[in-house]
Amino acid sequence: MTDVLVARDLVKEFPLNERRVTALRGVSLTVAEGDYCAIVGPSGSGKSTLLTLLGGLDLPTSGSVELMGTATAGLADRALTRLRLERIGFVFQRFHLLPVLTARENVELPMAELGLGRQERRARADELLDYVGLAGRTTHRVTQLSGGEMQRVAIARALANEPALILADEPTGELDATTGGEILALFRRLHADGTTLVVVTHDDRLAAEAGRVVRMQDGRIVTE
Amino acid sequence: MTWSWAWRDLFRHRGRTLLALLGVGVSAALLLDMMMLSGGIERSFERLLLSRGYQLRVSPSGTLPFDTEATVGDVTALVSGLRADPEVEDAGAILGLAVQAKSAAGTAVSLVGYGVQPEAQGIYVLESGRDITPGDSNGVVLGLPAATQLGASVGDTLRFFGRLDPQTAAPGAERSLVVRGVVRFLYDARDQPSVALTLDVARWLAGPAFRDRASVLMVRVAEGPAPATVAARLQREWPAVGISSVDDLVVQFRLRLTYFRQLSLILGAIALVVTVLLVGTLLTITVHERLPEIATLRALGVARRTILLQVLAQGAVLTVGGGMLGLVLGLITARWLDTILTAFPGLPASVSFFVAAPRPLALAALTLALTGLLAGLWPAWQAARAPIAHTLRQEAT
Repeated sequence: MTDVLVARDLVKEFPLNERRVTALRGVSLTVAEGDYCAIVGPSGSGKSTLLTLLGGLDLPTSGSVELMGTATAGLADRALTRLRLERIGFVFQRFHLLPVLTARENVELPMAELGLGRQERRARADELLDYVGLAGRTTHRVTQLSGGEMQRVAIARALANEPALILADEPTGELDATTGGEILALFRRLHADGTTLVVVTHDDRLAAEAGRVVRMQDGRIVTE
Repeated sequence: MTWSWAWRDLFRHRGRTLLALLGVGVSAALLLDMMMLSGGIERSFERLLLSRGYQLRVSPSGTLPFDTEATVGDVTALVSGLRADPEVEDAGAILGLAVQAKSAAGTAVSLVGYGVQPEAQGIYVLESGRDITPGDSNGVVLGLPAATQLGASVGDTLRFFGRLDPQTAAPGAERSLVVRGVVRFLYDARDQPSVALTLDVARWLAGPAFRDRASVLMVRVAEGPAPATVAARLQREWPAVGISSVDDLVVQFRLRLTYFRQLSLILGAIALVVTVLLVGTLLTITVHERLPEIATLRALGVARRTILLQVLAQGAVLTVGGGMLGLVLGLITARWLDTILTAFPGLPASVSFFVAAPRPLALAALTLALTGLLAGLWPAWQAARAPIAHTLRQEAT
């Protein structure tokens, strides 16, 4: 299996009221193609911070991240942005959809940035919305959708540019048990279809479904 | 797609955006009006002075035409000399005087009289009837306000009185004149009752002190030489009088209007500052509200440059939209203000303070566009530099 993601000795410090808080204390993690990895741990253990570093949304204080063999530390913003666009899909706890756009337009957005033509991206957006079970909701504004539906749109958007890796931060955190269960099923299906997943979660059910569970505490990986 | 988002996002808060557009519109209207005011009256004045093709004015030395009651002497010789000049096509003298006439109802109406040489006059245009002719010792033409006040029409005979006593207005000369036509006086203030008669009749009514004198002479330069050059040469030949080209008069006029230019400059600058603050504030608020969405776009892989251009484009939409509204508002208010300002006593009614010339319009549009760009720079930079992880983390807590 090819390594999609390799993180070595990640340290992340933040300034807080004239002192520095260490969120990550030397975390190393390797994710291979096709992995379904859950990162669990109590609040403040550094899970989400780790995810932002793995996804190139932030840079570590020290240590390195390699995405598909490319080290993020040396990349200019433009190159890092392009890497995220082409190779990573993000799913957030609060969905982060654009409320003025329809479900289809939200899914089309990363494809438009990539430069795909209107017809092509529309067809693919419809295909992805069908994949996540929202075939009949393509022209709805996302504000007209339920929480579970919004998260499905966010997952479809994450898949838009056929990324090598999906990073999800508490994808069921805002959903009730039933709706959360539907998202779990969708992740199960994604994994079965060969998608590489790294999911930060408090949800025991989600963690139980993942092939790998990385447990964190106080900015360190304590068990794997 | 991101452009569609930026466009729709601008109108997410319709009321706020429309208020901003209205605010920019008012600022743009003020800017446009000030641009039109700063040079408009000069252009209008120049157009008026050249409206009958006379490029030079001869007035008593050291004065401007009709600026004082001083007159030029030896007018017959002066006019003959000017008409004989190879670089002069035509020249005519005008004498201004106070006259009275009896209305149809028998009341005395005070009038401004102009004695002219009908073959070379540049102060009125015929509206109806016919013009007076050289040597017409019984004819008169009336301006519309005079005709209205006198209740007279073409063909009527009116009694005119001159040499009015400054204390009692008792006349020292009286003459019957036939109304030949109704004219429009180009340099008159609004509703000014004026009449024109031949120079000889005017002098007779004015009295012996005005024999061979005139208030001003109008000179039309022959095709070829520059009027300013001819004016300079004639001035050397006739040093006892003042000879000015229209350009000279416009310069004099401009000096007198420094106040207007300063006022328009200050108000125009205020309009620009208001526009920058308005658009900048709205965009800054919008950007701050949208920071989580902007961070999401950046996380998904949307380039900084795209975000920067989107915010600048939003500023441009506000500025251009407001500018178009301002164009309409500006033209309407300019017309309204013009009506008020041109009603000032002693000011030619045909002068406009606000003139919509292509250059000030283009300059106002360009200035406004640059202002919009400037106003969007800071919020655009903030949007493009928003820290992705930090913003998303804050949104999640």
